[in-house]
Amino acid sequence: MRRFLRENALGLTFGGLFLIVLVGQAFAGQADFNQQQVAEGLPGVSLGRYVTSASFGVDVAENWQSEYLQFFLFVLLTIWLLQKGSPESKPLDQAGLESDQDQKVGRFAQPDSPKWAKAGGWRQRVYSNSLGLVMGVIFLGSWLAQSIAGVAAFNEEQLSNRQDPVTWADYLREPEFWNRTLQNWQSELLAVASMAILAIFLRQRGSPESKPVGSPHSATGVEG
Amino acid sequence: MLAAVPHRRHIAVGVVAALSLSGCAATGGRENAAAAAALRLLDAVAAGDGAAACATLAPDTLREVAEDEPCEQAILDADLPEPGPVEKSAVYGQWAQVRLAADTEFLAVFPGGWRVVAAGCTPRGDRPYDCSVQGG
Repeated sequence: MRRFLRENALGLTFGGLFLIVLVGQAFAGQADFNQQQVAEGLPGVSLGRYVTSASFGVDVAENWQSEYLQFFLFVLLTIWLLQKGSPESKPLDQAGLESDQDQKVGRFAQPDSPKWAKAGGWRQRVYSNSLGLVMGVIFLGSWLAQSIAGVAAFNEEQLSNRQDPVTWADYLREPEFWNRTLQNWQSELLAVASMAILAIFLRQRGSPESKPVGSPHSATGVEG
Repeated sequence: MLAAVPHRRHIAVGVVAALSLSGCAATGGRENAAAAAALRLLDAVAAGDGAAACATLAPDTLREVAEDEPCEQAILDADLPEPGPVEKSAVYGQWAQVRLAADTEFLAVFPGGWRVVAAGCTPRGDRPYDCSVQGG
């Protein structure tokens, strides 16, 4: 058990923190929603009612979609795009899909390689793109969820303002949908750019996200 | 008597299920309940029953209606249209919009059920509806 915890501490810690913060968001969101309710002369809603509402749903989904967009773009673009001096980049002479030998696929697979890495054909192609595919599917799915929960939350506000509700298709052209989407995208893209560039010059000893403390600024694709 | 017409498209997406708005499976029931509350107001006004009409109003709306005279009289003087068939009933979260043949009403959820927040409403393009009965 102790070994399991030690070997899986990173996933367990971030998974646990995610759940704790999601619960915190539920409470803060409910309080914010009820503040609006009271201002409109309406009664507050229970926590259970709030976490099953479109308002909570869109607030969760808009953040999830941008995180998975960030990962999707980062995983894919780092195949070809390089950043000299950054540990987030591959070495400058390794842009592209690399050789089968370097990637340990097909006849270069090792005994303990994943099965589909040795399989060849469509299985190998799918597995070779599985990370980007899953990130992309989750991004699209959560963006769709944002739009569906978003139109319901938007329409709830429309009615509270004595205005007509809109269809889902109309909502995709609303400034509110794009405001929510783009404000999330800008921060994700900024985070990747910051990390790629700051890590050229700054160090964090012991972290695999940093170069070794003594690495020169020009060293690319090394981690500490 | 009620022409309850759910108007929202239902899009079956598995990933939405955990995140989507509440009461998705029961939206027909909520829309019918909101439409019934909207009709109760107009039926009571048409029958000259001011007390029954005021009982359908949200607290803030009732206070606004009763500003200059008792609600039971003021609501009958408010020029609300005759009741008619429900053309469309839309529910989103805590709010509903009910379109009848001669009126549009906005309702909200209260502990006892739907209450009318605004009635006798006419559209004004992109601006909020202009309502003869509404809260402050």
